[in-house]
Amino acid sequence: MNHTSTKALNLTLKIWRQAGPDQPGALKSYTLTDISPDMSFLEMLDVLNEQLIAKGEEPVAFDHDCREGICGTCGVMINGQAHGPDSATTTCQLHMRRFSDGDTILIEPWRARAFPIVRDLVVDRSAFDRIIQSGGYVSVNTGGAPDANAIPVPGHAQQDAMAAAACIGCGACVASCKNASAMLFVSAKVTHLADLPQGQAERSKRVLNMVATMDSEKFGNCTNTGECEAACPAGIKLSNIAQMNREYMKAVLFSCE
Amino acid sequence: METGSARPKAGLIDCVGLRWFFRLLSSSIGQKFVMGITGLLLCGFLAAHLAGNLLLFAGAELFNDYAHKLHEQWELLIVAETGLAVLFLAHIYLAFATAAGNGRAREDDYAMKQPKVPGRVIGANTWMFASGAVVLGFVLLHLVDLRLGMEGIDLRGLKLKDMKPFDATVKVLSNPISRVVYTIGAIILGIHLSHGFSSAFQSLGLNHPKYTPMIKLLGKIFAFVIAVGFASLALFVPEIWRK
Ligand code: SF4
Ligand code: FES
Repeated sequence: MNHTSTKALNLTLKIWRQAGPDQPGALKSYTLTDISPDMSFLEMLDVLNEQLIAKGEEPVAFDHDCREGICGTCGVMINGQAHGPDSATTTCQLHMRRFSDGDTILIEPWRARAFPIVRDLVVDRSAFDRIIQSGGYVSVNTGGAPDANAIPVPGHAQQDAMAAAACIGCGACVASCKNASAMLFVSAKVTHLADLPQGQAERSKRVLNMVATMDSEKFGNCTNTGECEAACPAGIKLSNIAQMNREYMKAVLFSCE
Repeated sequence: METGSARPKAGLIDCVGLRWFFRLLSSSIGQKFVMGITGLLLCGFLAAHLAGNLLLFAGAELFNDYAHKLHEQWELLIVAETGLAVLFLAHIYLAFATAAGNGRAREDDYAMKQPKVPGRVIGANTWMFASGAVVLGFVLLHLVDLRLGMEGIDLRGLKLKDMKPFDATVKVLSNPISRVVYTIGAIILGIHLSHGFSSAFQSLGLNHPKYTPMIKLLGKIFAFVIAVGFASLALFVPEIWRK
């Protein structure tokens, strides 16, 4: 699927349909004709849903909000790849020209014990929220916005923090990891604040608590396969995980927490 | 964490201040850290072990001499063997602990799963537990053969009792079953190391744009040298010294 299509596509979709959290689910086939290659993947799903509604069937439930790659809600597995075949791309940014006429596209929800299925392609990612709640913030009162030059931040620290802050919390790292590990996500959040002066006061406590929550939410362990990095739409790197490992060991061995 | 609930009463662990130690051993990152350290230390053992065993190519005298000198320092040997046993057991225990957690982390499999890492076909990293298990089986057989001298459970009927180390080793390696098993053991060990070596650095947090590419390359070279080195012992030593 490396080439790009310019003419309208006829597609077979196989989509995971599941009526509720404890309901049985199964793949269901649909055919779609005349899909414009300029559509986004989600617009293609919109077309399908309009047709389903017109026929009186239940539309396919999927998460989406911004449709421009910043909210992190839209992730699904497309032909076994998180957010589909493109790198550094969310599902909503994926275009149908990436597919060919006659393709069969298999669409599944993220699968992880920590992300239970709510309905069809929608999963409950509140485990991420609980990890953030356990330390992904700065709780010291910083007052009003300080003068930009009053807090000196070295350029490389600013760049690293900014790069880590790009994580949109989509969960593709968990979905693509064979161990359903959340380490890429947690490392982005931990290193983002560890790199900045504002994060120093709670630096040790933050990493200890966030990792403890990550473990208790039943995510798997990292085996350094790098699938998360390849699937991440925001460019979070394995080096973030290494930095988190350092932060964690420093906190365990040398902090007073 | 500052929660509203009362702190648990200080037990023995808190009195001696070892809570950090249990946090290390029970958390995902702590476990990977210990996995990495034990793995790298075991790599050190492999290198030393291979260096010593390459003396098999040099002949009976040198090899026996080496084995003799090694076993003469029995105080050191006890420390070293205990250390090795601890490393092995920790590494194996953590393999089971983390693998069990990983298995539980995704209960329903994908109908289809494809890698997104460019160029990945099938990686050693997917087979760390399996390759580790094969290596463990091999290590156990190897210990039975050449360290413990347990004749009773040796189905290959090798009578090694009272043999000089060199003769015993050549005899074990001359047996077709052990030759195959030892060669396969060495190759699978190499596959294990081809991911394990560099992965250990990542788990220890030692990832740096300047050094990581070098570490990855070193890992592959190390894996290759260890696999070829040990396999060559099984393949060539009996040929050279066939009486
Ligand atoms: S690290 Fe990347 S893949 Fe994981 S949640 Fe953040 S943006 Fe998504
Ligand atoms: S819908 Fe917001 S990232 Fe895709």
